[in-house]
Amino acid sequence: MSLLSGSKRRAIVAFVLIFCSGVGLLFAQDQSATAISHQVRDIFDRAAKAVVKIYGIDEHSPICGTGFFVDPTGTLYTAYTVGGEAGNFTVEFNGRKYPARQLVADIRSGTAILKVDETTPALPIGKSEELEVATPVISIGYPLDLPKTPNFGMIAGFDRKCLGRYFSTIHLRVNAPTQRGEAGAPLLNLKGEVVGIVVSGLENNSACYAVPIEAAEKIRGDFVRFGEARHGWIGVNNVSPASEQVDGSRAMVTQVVEDAPAARSGLKEGDVLLQVGKKKITEPEDVFDASFYITAGDTVPITVMRGNQKMTFQVQATMHPASRTGVLLASPGTIPGAIPMSLDDDEPPSP
Amino acid sequence: MDESNDNEIARLLRLKRYEQPPPGYFENFLHEFHRRQRDELLRQPLWRICLERAHNFMLQLDGRSLASYPTAVAAVLVCAAIFSLKVYQQPETARVATQSPLTLSAPMNAEQEWNLASPVARQIFRTQPVRSFHESTQTHRAAPPRYVLDSVPVSYEPTFRF
Repeated sequence: MSLLSGSKRRAIVAFVLIFCSGVGLLFAQDQSATAISHQVRDIFDRAAKAVVKIYGIDEHSPICGTGFFVDPTGTLYTAYTVGGEAGNFTVEFNGRKYPARQLVADIRSGTAILKVDETTPALPIGKSEELEVATPVISIGYPLDLPKTPNFGMIAGFDRKCLGRYFSTIHLRVNAPTQRGEAGAPLLNLKGEVVGIVVSGLENNSACYAVPIEAAEKIRGDFVRFGEARHGWIGVNNVSPASEQVDGSRAMVTQVVEDAPAARSGLKEGDVLLQVGKKKITEPEDVFDASFYITAGDTVPITVMRGNQKMTFQVQATMHPASRTGVLLASPGTIPGAIPMSLDDDEPPSP
Repeated sequence: MDESNDNEIARLLRLKRYEQPPPGYFENFLHEFHRRQRDELLRQPLWRICLERAHNFMLQLDGRSLASYPTAVAAVLVCAAIFSLKVYQQPETARVATQSPLTLSAPMNAEQEWNLASPVARQIFRTQPVRSFHESTQTHRAAPPRYVLDSVPVSYEPTFRF
């Protein structure tokens, strides 16, 4: 004999189930928040020792920013705004200050590489290509004159331009608060690997922009090979959106510089770009990021659609006109198809 | 004997009764008295005169006035000490400010030292660059660091050119 009728019993059971599930959800949320907190703290504890405070003096005043070691011989990455146009660098880590010198300053990527002649800790390099929107990330920087500080946030976007200005390479927009002094801070994934370098704030510093670590690694690779950053140029002067998509791409070459590497390799106006190097092209804006990774002197495979035919050209890149160092890439005799071009020239040869 | 002496004295007194002082004697009496007194004093050695005067001076002073002298001397010394501290312990900036005109007006080399140009004009001409150099150096060292974080990335690509 039951005290309650069937409908009342069902209502009570439903209420108990809803209550239990609600409590369980809250408990699970609390546990996941605690787990993230532990994870962030763990990464901070491991990575913070390789993060340094950089002092320098530029033409206006002393400056202060952040950087991080990427190898045990004291090579460190920072933002161009910290290590690009200043001098008399001093790096503070382990409670001591060490003199540092500039190896490379690359305004195109917005990064700079400094060197300290010491054995140092180093952060592992990750892959920014594995990031997605809403991927959690951590940055560690020195805000103002405060000690090193972790910032937790997420990837908010992969931007090619901001406020009408195109970036040379895709920038990671990160919804993590940053303060002055944190330019050059490492952006880490939850494995503790560096996936980017904080280069600027955004609006009221509630978010920031970071350069993908691959861009900085490209510059470091150039320095190791040539002793300088060598941005490549193949001689395509204009890319416009095609009237219709061809094989998934709308990036049509509309101007090729005469006697430039692209023209000599067979690239023509009207070709629709499908791939430049390892980067797939779907829109004209994609050529910025793709061309950033071209190194002068290297041969770049460029895949295009010409009519209904897919073609791949091997193009020998020369030095980018925007490069600042006054070094010739090579004499015409040493690299076939290369243009003997002084980097003092501001403009490439007109078509 | 005593009686004869008495008689003698009486006779002298009778004689004195008729004796008269010269005219103006009483008018000059006080002046003559002071003169003879000074003559008596000047017959003593100088040191004795000073000693006596000092002694008389000290005897004229009472205890309060004697006690007020050290107080006054101490007050004067304290004032002098404070004044000297203020004068000689000026801040370094003040010294730099007073020295800098000398530095600025110093000739750059011997040829300029013998320049026939007006020294005033020459000083003005030289002052500007030297001062600006020193000021910029000091400003650089003294300025607080600029904590770097730009509002936009520096990376910029103007055209679709690669």
